[in-house]
Amino acid sequence: MSAFAKLHPTVSLLYFASVMSVAMFVTNPVIGLISLFGSVLFCLLLTVRGKKIKEALFYIAVMVLVTVTNPLFSHNGVTPLFFINGNPVTAEAILYGADIALMIVSVMVWCKCFTAVMTSDKLQYLLGRIVPQISLILSMALRFVPMLRRQANKLTRTQKAMGMYSSDSYAERIRSSVSSISVLIGWSLENAVETGKAMRARGYGLKKRTHYSDYRFVTQDAVILIICAVLWGTVLFGMSRGVLDFSYYPQISAIPSEGLSVICYLAYGCISLLPFVLETEEIIRWKYYRSKI
Amino acid sequence: MEILQIKDLSFKYPEAEKKALDCVNLSVRKGDFVLLCGESGCGKTTLLRLLKKEIAPFGEKTGEIIYNSVFEESDKNETSHTGFVGQNPDEQIVTDKVWHELSFGLENMGVEKSRIRSRVGEMASFFGIHNWYHSNTDELSGGQKQLLNLASVMVMNPDILLLDEPTSQLDPIAASDFIATLHKLNRETGLTVILVEHRLEEVFPVADKVITMHDGRILFFDEPKKVCKLMKGGPLEAGLPSAVRIFNALCEEGECPLTVRDGRNFIENYADKASACSIGKHTLKGEKAIEVKNLWFRYEKNLPDVITDLDFGVTEGEIVSILGGNGSGKTTMLNLLAGLDKPYKGKIKLFGKNINNYKGASLYRRNIALLAQNPKLVFQKDRVDDDFSAALKTMEIPVSEHKDLIEKTVRRFGVEQLLHRHPYDLSGGEQQKCALCKLLLTEPKILLLDEPTKGFDAQSKQTLAKMLTELKADGKTIVIVTHDVEFAAQISDRCALFFDGKIISDGTPNSFFSGNTFYTTAASRISRGVFKDTVLCEEVIRCCKGENV
Repeated sequence: MSAFAKLHPTVSLLYFASVMSVAMFVTNPVIGLISLFGSVLFCLLLTVRGKKIKEALFYIAVMVLVTVTNPLFSHNGVTPLFFINGNPVTAEAILYGADIALMIVSVMVWCKCFTAVMTSDKLQYLLGRIVPQISLILSMALRFVPMLRRQANKLTRTQKAMGMYSSDSYAERIRSSVSSISVLIGWSLENAVETGKAMRARGYGLKKRTHYSDYRFVTQDAVILIICAVLWGTVLFGMSRGVLDFSYYPQISAIPSEGLSVICYLAYGCISLLPFVLETEEIIRWKYYRSKI
Repeated sequence: MEILQIKDLSFKYPEAEKKALDCVNLSVRKGDFVLLCGESGCGKTTLLRLLKKEIAPFGEKTGEIIYNSVFEESDKNETSHTGFVGQNPDEQIVTDKVWHELSFGLENMGVEKSRIRSRVGEMASFFGIHNWYHSNTDELSGGQKQLLNLASVMVMNPDILLLDEPTSQLDPIAASDFIATLHKLNRETGLTVILVEHRLEEVFPVADKVITMHDGRILFFDEPKKVCKLMKGGPLEAGLPSAVRIFNALCEEGECPLTVRDGRNFIENYADKASACSIGKHTLKGEKAIEVKNLWFRYEKNLPDVITDLDFGVTEGEIVSILGGNGSGKTTMLNLLAGLDKPYKGKIKLFGKNINNYKGASLYRRNIALLAQNPKLVFQKDRVDDDFSAALKTMEIPVSEHKDLIEKTVRRFGVEQLLHRHPYDLSGGEQQKCALCKLLLTEPKILLLDEPTKGFDAQSKQTLAKMLTELKADGKTIVIVTHDVEFAAQISDRCALFFDGKIISDGTPNSFFSGNTFYTTAASRISRGVFKDTVLCEEVIRCCKGENV
């Protein structure tokens, strides 16, 4: 497990909220590039070897596609490069397309990291903090669905081996599948009654439940939570002041580079690289620790 | 000190004519391992469930159940005082993760987080769950699931543990592990255990007290060695440990042996009769019903082979049992024979014709039929007779003939009184019988049975054995995949051991089982070295008496 994945779920959630919100809502090529750089670095640490090249090709294809598509539909901009069917293809539209592509791909990569880090356990825990009942229901559903699927599969095979589904007529086959659904419903009801008994036997519904989890909020979580919050706050402040604004139409504006903008870039850079830093720190620590042995 | 006292307990289910329990008196001492046995429908499950208030059945109850315990700890109460583990491992698991399942009971009790952590951790390491603590409950084997159910009850620190046939859905190795764990719990923590079980071979030697029930009444309640003798000639005798059955047939007086070791010592007295007995069973000769050549199979491209270079043949009119450990590929082989899966290499011939040449449904029309492990899955309708008609309909038999056909089959196996019931309301043994009847309505020449005795008591096993022998006399070919060594030894013409994707040894039950040291019947282990090739209790008994088998 990566060092970042070991953090408390609340911290991980806040982290992804901060890094993805900025990437999605700020139109600024610098932010876009930082976001892509950070997400790709993080993703490389999380994914297994061997699949990387295939995935990189997919993302590059998405980027090219989006970049090319935008100028075909949007003819804004003051610098026409050439004409297709009498419609201008402008430099601004191409660059805007590239920026959107940057945003889309970086958010996609962030999402990939999100699913790798935020396992169903963690999401359940977070949900349980807000509405405890939902967490239990979700957990029971996650248990029940694969069981039902397996049961359905077994049922089909059992019936088939008795010559039930192998009829040549379609009507007969449809009739058998309908009846197998009713069998499955009967089975799930039976199962639910028994599970209900097992729950009552273990004291369900007696008292107000407590909510157990394996996660503990330690000092490191607090430190990283504060760092994230401060950095995110800085970027949000910058956004509200408009120091990160950038426009493509009708004419490409200059990249904002005043003091506060630079601070915002730095802050966002720090957030984006945070998992990478944590990971490298752990690797170095491990190397150092091992060299002592 | 008594921990549990039952005084004049009677119980009647609503709308039932007879009492399910009739004047039951019982007192259980603290720290006892109590085995409760009786034929199916004798009220043992009712009694057990009445002992736990939360799951007690509804009905008319008279009499008293008194618990003698002190709730010294604050997080202890009536619910956590008695723990209950039931028959089906899947139905008792509530959540999707092992750690969540373990903590579920304590969460319900409102125990705070740090205490849950320490209790769960302790139990997980006691039961050896720590290796799969973070797994999904869905990925566990049956044995692991049942162990998890036990652990998640033990987390609540009960004084009495009630178990209702907990090993009936497990294979024999997982079952003995489970019983060994119970024994360890009882011995090391002084936990009181009340266990309903029909796998008596393993439980008898570890139990302190045995209760036998009949028709809602307690027949005997005493130490195992004494109860053994009392059960002689009773309906439960067939389920007793082999050593006991041999002893009962030969002696009236003396101390009854319970284990294989004691049985061996007992039987040495009869060593002088050894020369007198000989065993005669021969392999059948005839046309091949099933012929399998160089079969290879795997479920997915990236997964390892499940069947590796399997060669195998079954003669017409033969009963063949295939034994082997979990995951050795036995069930997969049955699926291949039934045409549910296709091998990627090799040939399967049924009656000399390649299985791929049976087009459409013709394979399942009067040729081959597979009865899967769970008989519940066989039924589609709300009533057994409707279900049977549906089966005949798919066989394209005119409706006018249904009634006669059904009646004929049903009468033969004595299930007439079950025809109007809902399949799910039947007991495991009854379900299996009806499922077999439904299978036979399709008139297959080859029957493939997957674990047909799973969850059966000794009596149902005998009924099934009788049914199969009759079918064999009709000329049906039967292939059974089973863990049940005793059943295989009794019924088969030939037994085979499946290991590592192929059959590595086969022979008549006598030669096959006497060649194995562990994978063999208790009677064979008892009589080894004294008599030659005896594998059934009956054979040992007759040898001891000096008769030819």
